[in-house]
Amino acid sequence: MPRSLVPHSPEPHRSPTPGLFLGLVITLAAVVAYSAYITRQISGLRELQNNLVDRNRKDSLQLLRIQNDLNSLALAMRDMLDNDEPYPLTAWSAQFQRVRTDLDDALHREQQVAPVNRTPEQEEYLDNSVVQFWDAADRTFALAQGNNQAEARTQIQVSLRARQEALSTAVSRLLVQNNESEEQAAQRIAQIYNRVQRQVYLFLTATLLAILFTSLYLIRSNRRLFAQLAALSAQRSELAQKLISTQESTLRHISRELHDEFGQILTAVGAMLTRAGKQAPEGSALRADLREVCEIAQTTLDKVRSLSQALHPVMLEETGLESTLDWYLPVLERQAGIHVFYEKSGQSFPVNGNAAIHVYRVVQEALNNLTRHSGASEAWVRLRFLPQALEVEVQDHGKGFDPQSAGQGIGLVAMRERAELLGGTVEFVKPTPANGQDQDAARSGTLVRLKVPRRNLESNAA
Amino acid sequence: MNRRSFLWGMAGLISASGLPFDAFAAPTAPSIDPGFRLSDATAQAGINFRHNSGAYGGKLLPETLGAGCAFLDYDRDGWQDILLVNGSDWPGHKRDYPSTLKLYRNNRNGTFSDVTHSAGLDLEMYGMGAAVGDYDNDGFPDILITCVGQNRLFKNTRKGTFIDVTKSSGLASRQAMSTSALWFDYDRDGLLDLFVCNYVKWSAEHDVFCSLDGKHKSYCTPEAYRGETCWLFHNRGNGTFEDVTATSGIFDSSSKSLGVAMLDYDHDGWPDLLVTNDTQPNKLYRNQRNGTFKDVAVDAGIAFSAEGRARAGMGVDVADFDNSGNPGVAITNFDNEMTGLYRLSDGGDYVDVALPSGIGQASKDKLGFGCIFLDADLDGALDLAVVNGHIDDTVRNVSGVGYAQPPQLFLNRGKGTFVDVASALGGGFSQPKVGRGLAYGDFDRDGDLDLLVTTNNGPAYLYRNDQTAGNQSLRIRLIGTKSNRDAIGATVRVFHGASNAASQSRVVKAGSSYLSQSELPVTFGLGKQDKIGRLVIEWPSGRTEDYKNLSAGRAYECVEAKGITGLPGF
Repeated sequence: MPRSLVPHSPEPHRSPTPGLFLGLVITLAAVVAYSAYITRQISGLRELQNNLVDRNRKDSLQLLRIQNDLNSLALAMRDMLDNDEPYPLTAWSAQFQRVRTDLDDALHREQQVAPVNRTPEQEEYLDNSVVQFWDAADRTFALAQGNNQAEARTQIQVSLRARQEALSTAVSRLLVQNNESEEQAAQRIAQIYNRVQRQVYLFLTATLLAILFTSLYLIRSNRRLFAQLAALSAQRSELAQKLISTQESTLRHISRELHDEFGQILTAVGAMLTRAGKQAPEGSALRADLREVCEIAQTTLDKVRSLSQALHPVMLEETGLESTLDWYLPVLERQAGIHVFYEKSGQSFPVNGNAAIHVYRVVQEALNNLTRHSGASEAWVRLRFLPQALEVEVQDHGKGFDPQSAGQGIGLVAMRERAELLGGTVEFVKPTPANGQDQDAARSGTLVRLKVPRRNLESNAA
Repeated sequence: MNRRSFLWGMAGLISASGLPFDAFAAPTAPSIDPGFRLSDATAQAGINFRHNSGAYGGKLLPETLGAGCAFLDYDRDGWQDILLVNGSDWPGHKRDYPSTLKLYRNNRNGTFSDVTHSAGLDLEMYGMGAAVGDYDNDGFPDILITCVGQNRLFKNTRKGTFIDVTKSSGLASRQAMSTSALWFDYDRDGLLDLFVCNYVKWSAEHDVFCSLDGKHKSYCTPEAYRGETCWLFHNRGNGTFEDVTATSGIFDSSSKSLGVAMLDYDHDGWPDLLVTNDTQPNKLYRNQRNGTFKDVAVDAGIAFSAEGRARAGMGVDVADFDNSGNPGVAITNFDNEMTGLYRLSDGGDYVDVALPSGIGQASKDKLGFGCIFLDADLDGALDLAVVNGHIDDTVRNVSGVGYAQPPQLFLNRGKGTFVDVASALGGGFSQPKVGRGLAYGDFDRDGDLDLLVTTNNGPAYLYRNDQTAGNQSLRIRLIGTKSNRDAIGATVRVFHGASNAASQSRVVKAGSSYLSQSELPVTFGLGKQDKIGRLVIEWPSGRTEDYKNLSAGRAYECVEAKGITGLPGF
């Protein structure tokens, strides 16, 4: 009984490719734009770090070193003025020289890393102050060298100390300035970080939205595609089943016609020829011809009956599936020259004729395939009446085949369709080796298993 | 993942991997057999000395610094005698018994006799350090005692007595709080000159009030005081000295010096000086060969710690501890500052290798004073002995660091690594002490180096070294003729092993450590070798002598330009 047609398949839809391509382009563009933005921000940060923060830090370190040297000079001057050492003031010249070497080095390095916002006036003031300090120091030591200790001390008090203090103040001012610009830089860096953080969130949100929309679009497209595929598959299956039903009814009709019409005609012709033969004189040529024609008619009748059975075993309706198989398998053994091991098990139950023809055809097709392609000389047919189902197996140990491979014959498709018509399943499996079985033999061969629920076989639904 | 979960994850990983958390801590391996043992020979030797810091509760700065010690052969009998410096009671706080320095004569049988009185040294003074040197080249060592106040120079009369020549020598004109001192011949005229370290400008009358809790007086750190220059006295050769501090470029009023060591930093044959300063940059005075010095410590990388901070330099020693021929340096510092161990790089800069050597971490919680390089196990690699102890006995209440701290003996394991084996040496050596002075000398003439330790306001300890691994040694005594008689400044090199490929060098030196002086003979550890291929002596005069095939297990006496004589035994 053909199932009702699936609803009209949806209209073929636009391919999702252009949409996805557009999404990809937008996403890539966003990534490129964002990368460019981040690169720009990072280079800005690096510039800020190199030009301002690092430079400032290095400069501050050198300024601290200068400050430390100036402090050492201040302490030395204090000791010189205290006049509690038994040494002349020239004794301090090595100490001054040591500090001077370090101070010169520190000033040189400081100039190399001086912040970019240092004004030339500031540089000049610092340089001049240092020159003036050492000039005053040299004069002081010259006075001390000339045994003018008192005047040298006065010079330290009125000039050298003042110059040292002025220098120290200038350096302190530069340190404060460095500190301020460092604070400004820190603020700018914080702003950049805030901006970048905001952009990261924006970018992440946009990316997530893009992924979300693309995913939704893909899901929708997939669902449509699957619906179309399902509809097409249903149409194809229905078509195949219709074809099978039509074929079966046609064959049944032809088979009946052959059996009923031509059988009766040929039986009548045979009877009439036999009667006519009896009327012809014994030993006459006519009698011999009539007998010959009668035999031909009998042979024709046998062939017609045989053809009728082959097209559609009438036995199916009359004596059932079991008897038909009992009749068919020895016939096949004779025709194909193979040995069939037929096993029946379970409590048999009647199978409706409409269903029985499909079971019979599946067995027939499986055995046909076996004789044609497997190269095997033996076959096993198992009919199992299970409590809730009927199971039929056809197995061989021949070459075997891959039911999943492309180019399946119409026979396999037909077997599947018939199984579906019956509401059952058909499987094509590679048999697993039994204990003691030859591994090579077990690895090859095919097992076709049809399983149909009992209720579908007993009712007329199929 | 936030920071906390990251850290927990890391902690989990570390514990799962079985990596101990103290993987970077210094190796302390009592399981290592050091190859020698120390035994406390103090009582058996008859040394009964207790340092008197004069502490009465006034918490005066000098009370924290302790006093030093020295090994010397004052009677020239070939056996090392012992000198222990002592402080005294403060004026107004005198106790019944006087405290004097002590001179112990070696009885040549493992015991000593107190000869302080007969030697004329039973004098009270607030002594700090000792420097022993034959400044008049008469063959008998003279003694300088650095003091709080007036330093004292004692001339050896060659008859077992000393006379105080402070005034006549011209040293009486300078008074300060002197610490370490050393004799060396900086102008290479064959006469020993004198270098004296001074700590800070301090006097009992102007002692500064410092406090840890705001109520009670505690000992001040040196930041509370002004620095004081070190002194350099030139030996005129007529028994008098000339103060050349100012003209030689040594003068530095910011110094707060505690230790001094002699070295030839630039390999020019002229002795340079390394001075450790407390909270001030160390000084490396490079001898400019014209009677003046130039401080190159900053350029040489030894003025500050690797972080650029001036540490609390205490004791110092210089020796070729890596057998590279270069003078390596050890400087003890405050707790949390680590001992500095410096190697001279190819570029001529000092690099602090304390951390990779294992000494850094092991000394982090120690306040080190005396330190000496010596080949304690006679394996041919110089080891480092350090005595520790805090300056303030209330420190444990404040920082948890002990006042008494265990001495350490870092065994040189080769490849630049050291391991503290003090706890495996026995004799109570590793018992916590308030260590200050430290010196080595072979008092029992068995060929290995024994240790002399002084403690602040406590006893002195003599530790006898007993070899257990059967290592051999070779000892050399030098007598200068053209050079100063003590041969201070001479470099002795030995070459041994296959093709004489291995070499060691020692310098005859006074000073080093902290307030102390070790014996003048040099000792080479030779492991299991019974001879050396070659011995080279570079005398301070510039003369070089070369000797071959000397046997281990004995001492040799070498007189400049007159050859070498083997002695029976050590």
